Amino acid sequence: MKKCKCGKILGKLLGITLLANVVLFIVFFFDLDGKLLYYVVEPFLKKHYDNMERKDVLKESGYDVFKYEKAPYDM
Amino acid sequence: MAKKFDIKALKKTDWKKVAKDFWYGKPHGERRIGDLYIEKTGLYKHREWRGVKDTMYYFYAVWLYNYAMMVADIMKFGGIVPFAKGVWRYRWVGQTYLPVIHWYDRGLQGLRGEALRASPWHYRGMTSTTIKQFMRFFTSDTRLNGGKQNEHYKTNIAHKETVWGGIFYPWAGELTNLPLEMIPYFVTCHVNSHTVQNYIDAVQSIGLPGDPCPMCQAEAGLFVLDDVPDYAPAFITCNEACDASVASTVLQDWLFDKPLYALPMPMQFDDPLVHKHVMKEIEGAWKFIEEQYGIPFSYEKLVEKLKKQNELMEFEWEKWEVAAKTSYYPINGVAQALYRIYYSQYGDWEVWHECDAKVRKVLEKCVSKKINTFPNTRHRVIAWSCAPLYFSDWPTWAYNCWGLNVVINMDSLMFDMKIRTDSYENTLADMATYHMWAPMRRMAVGGMQHIFELWEYMEKFNCDMVAMYDQLQCKGMQGVHGLFEDEFRKRNVNAFWMPHALPDSRTVTRAELRRMINDYMTTVMHEEPLDPSLLDFDDSMIW
Repeated sequence: MKKCKCGKILGKLLGITLLANVVLFIVFFFDLDGKLLYYVVEPFLKKHYDNMERKDVLKESGYDVFKYEKAPYDM
Repeated sequence: MAKKFDIKALKKTDWKKVAKDFWYGKPHGERRIGDLYIEKTGLYKHREWRGVKDTMYYFYAVWLYNYAMMVADIMKFGGIVPFAKGVWRYRWVGQTYLPVIHWYDRGLQGLRGEALRASPWHYRGMTSTTIKQFMRFFTSDTRLNGGKQNEHYKTNIAHKETVWGGIFYPWAGELTNLPLEMIPYFVTCHVNSHTVQNYIDAVQSIGLPGDPCPMCQAEAGLFVLDDVPDYAPAFITCNEACDASVASTVLQDWLFDKPLYALPMPMQFDDPLVHKHVMKEIEGAWKFIEEQYGIPFSYEKLVEKLKKQNELMEFEWEKWEVAAKTSYYPINGVAQALYRIYYSQYGDWEVWHECDAKVRKVLEKCVSKKINTFPNTRHRVIAWSCAPLYFSDWPTWAYNCWGLNVVINMDSLMFDMKIRTDSYENTLADMATYHMWAPMRRMAVGGMQHIFELWEYMEKFNCDMVAMYDQLQCKGMQGVHGLFEDEFRKRNVNAFWMPHALPDSRTVTRAELRRMINDYMTTVMHEEPLDPSLLDFDDSMIW
């Protein structure tokens, strides 16, 4: 009886592993990972990056480019 | 209209051949790899069938293994939360590194047998080191960590990507050196060539003319788009590759606004006085680090790390010996080039040793069993000058299409030295030489003696053809174009030119580069392609 239960669990595990391998192979072979990233993930992220609020570094860098009153080459 | 089912054609099918092709994969001349692409995108209708054994190897040991290892690396170097925050904040990581497996596909296309066993380890090494670096950015970045300067931040030191990582060996285990542009700029160009265009356009949008080196433009553009993490208290810069880099460093200094030490490479080469000067400047950098971080310089640590780096060089020489003298070298042109420049510039790190150990096993097997790893080689090619970053996998295409086997390249050869560790003076002297032999320097603008080392290496590696890169926006190399033309004629060397704008794939496209090689192979060499489906195809929107 115990043997039978173990066998069933092993069988299930084997089945799940096999199924996972088949599914992953389909994803791999038909380049579904590439297609998902190319057609869905990248456009979504690009839209996000394009619309991000960004600091205007020229105005808000905090660095005073004129902090030296007179540059050495300033005649 | 649906295609009609042709029973006659089915009857004519040679089923024995079909079964053989299924089991072993099609022979080189029959593969038609170009037919696998979806137009414009470079995506595959389906990935290549390489025969049962090699397809399964690629599926399990390259595709699946590397996806799993990427997750493992992210967990190891900080976890999913900082990774997600970084992806959301920084374009250069989100847009670039998610489709990294396609970078593997492009570089490893068509490989079989032992070449397929060895080359992917180089990609694995580079991927792991890249993850290590961007995760360190994210765990240190004050922008992602509530404005706090945490322990990681306090123990990081920033430097330009062209400052060799070995400069920081004396603080190994105490400080982490993180090149500023290697991950946000350099590696992105190879993986997804679109990302960098945002940064080039950004710096031009504030008035920079379009003709300086696009590498320096992109590096400055990262700051213009406010896309640089705030991850370290101090910064070491240099003037590499040229005066354009000096200009980008000025912008970086304004916008990063941190204590800075400039460690320039001299424009004069092979001069003992200049060499002494560089030694002093390296010592100056060490003093600067001591002052900024309050951690004393350790010669013992420096020697320990240099010895490890020398081990990498020793194995590289063994590999070159096999590449030069036999047909048993199992690493393809792009894996050789990118791995070598990455580790020799970044410096010693444990993953390089792990990958080399794996590659050594394959290499020894190839040599002992005399396995011809690239059996369709028609020409042994040496690639010279700086490569197009957006098409660094062109050697893979060139082998599949024409049987051009890029055995070695300039970037691999520039740090062709070990560093002595027998005394402080010798160590410092060799480190100064290493520092001066930087990328795009020794053999690009380092004087004719070094630029023309091509002929010596061409003979050493038994090459019969030169792929001559022509970086259109590099004023240094543009100046010697004609001299190379003269020498090629005088020496009767087969050579083709590959003009490009380093990271910017819009100036000379991949398709144009392929067309130039096709033209050379047909009109000058009078050869037929091994795979005609690869001659001309539209991959204009490829990553």
